Amino acid sequence: MKSFFRTLPIALAATMAAMAAHAHHSFAMFDRTTEVVKTGKVQRWAFNNPHSWLYINVLNDDGTQTLWSFESASPTQLIGRGITGKTFEPGTTVTVMYCPLRDGRAGGGIGWVMLADGSYFSVADGGCNGSDENINRWKGWMKLGYRSNKDAQAAADK
Amino acid sequence: MKFAKHPIWIGVGLVALGIGSGANAQQGAFGGGYGPPLKVLAPTQMFATSDEHYAHLLKLANGGTKHTLASVPRWDGLWVAAGNTHMSAFIDTGNLGGKVIEGVLTPAYEAAYKERWRQQIEQGQVDYDRLGECQPPGMPRFLLEPYSHEFINLPNESYLINDFGPSIRRVLIGKQHSNLYGTHSWYGDTIGFWNGTQLVMSTKYLYPADFTRWSPMTSNQFESIEIWELKKYPGGIERLEVQATFYDRYAFVKPINVVYAFRHATELQKADYRVNQWECEQTNNTYLDDKGKSNFHLPGEAGFNDGRGFTHFPELPGQSRDPIYNTTLTPGAK
Repeated sequence: MKSFFRTLPIALAATMAAMAAHAHHSFAMFDRTTEVVKTGKVQRWAFNNPHSWLYINVLNDDGTQTLWSFESASPTQLIGRGITGKTFEPGTTVTVMYCPLRDGRAGGGIGWVMLADGSYFSVADGGCNGSDENINRWKGWMKLGYRSNKDAQAAADK
Repeated sequence: MKFAKHPIWIGVGLVALGIGSGANAQQGAFGGGYGPPLKVLAPTQMFATSDEHYAHLLKLANGGTKHTLASVPRWDGLWVAAGNTHMSAFIDTGNLGGKVIEGVLTPAYEAAYKERWRQQIEQGQVDYDRLGECQPPGMPRFLLEPYSHEFINLPNESYLINDFGPSIRRVLIGKQHSNLYGTHSWYGDTIGFWNGTQLVMSTKYLYPADFTRWSPMTSNQFESIEIWELKKYPGGIERLEVQATFYDRYAFVKPINVVYAFRHATELQKADYRVNQWECEQTNNTYLDDKGKSNFHLPGEAGFNDGRGFTHFPELPGQSRDPIYNTTLTPGAK
């Protein structure tokens, strides 16, 4: 548990730094202490101002699908990271890490996206931590099968 | 573990704004850290009003430099914010580890700012940002918005463009202030003159606005004197610097002096980026919820703006706003 509280401030600092740099709105709606991974198929990559949004369809356990909405940064921020409006094409499978909406609806602030070929993209604005450091941390956690930072941290602290 | 006093949490605050001390306050503030530290060049004397300040500068410049198309300074291309010092004017450390400096703002504005600052420190986030409902940045926020900027200088007029909104400030060279509308606006009325390579500007008749959501608010009496100049530093560094004095008899006890900067957006130009026209209200889904906090409308919910899906004429071919991919957003699609 101690390591979680050592890691959390660093993650928050990175997120807050991004917040200070790029946000046009408050990020009060996101729980930035929680990071979750989901895999689904891209429905739309809306590479738009004032923020881009990635919409993916995620298969539920009962066979239905839910459309999840994830807020990303503005195009001017993303282009500097080599990301364009064609980076996530509809129909492709992606894995995303996000910080969920506090009210539990199907959405959140996105941290990073992984394509099927294993390439990662930091698409975060201030809503979640998409830093290289956090991507590397998540690579390790996903190898161990974790899909949430809290589960990974809890296991590490046992 | 005592969160509030633990050194690492103090570090969070410092890193969050990328600030180590007041002297370095601009390093992490909206693109800060590019080029040498920014230095505020305060006026050599105090002025009671922005009009007095502007008249003084115009007199010093002997009425200003009359540029031609061939001689007017060129600030072509795309620019992005490259830091500023505005937080140091209001927070004792210039960063999230600090406290509101008392006596800079008037009592009413200081109390309002302390509440914003409380939210920022205690929650890590101010509840709401007026830009979330697509209000234009206005002044002074125009000077640090982290979207792309373009600056076009002609002998008799300059156009200062911010991709957020988008917004345009028009600087009328050699004119007097005029307000035919009989009201104020987001960018007010700006006049200016050239003093060699410096563009000196006076802006009045502004709406109330703010510096950022975690910074003080400004009133409808906010006025600015700005001196814009392209500075060159060793290593091929070019920085457009804006020395600004802000007057606001409702918000400030005395005028505020700050400096803002922009740099060439080389990463955007290398990517062959084009600024597209956009209207915030058509693609923005942020709103103020009944708890006074920012929230989002998601697909399928009332109020959701589907910027790529809207059309009045679905029965006609070729009406999609997403013609390359033709996507739709259907919550719960099988």
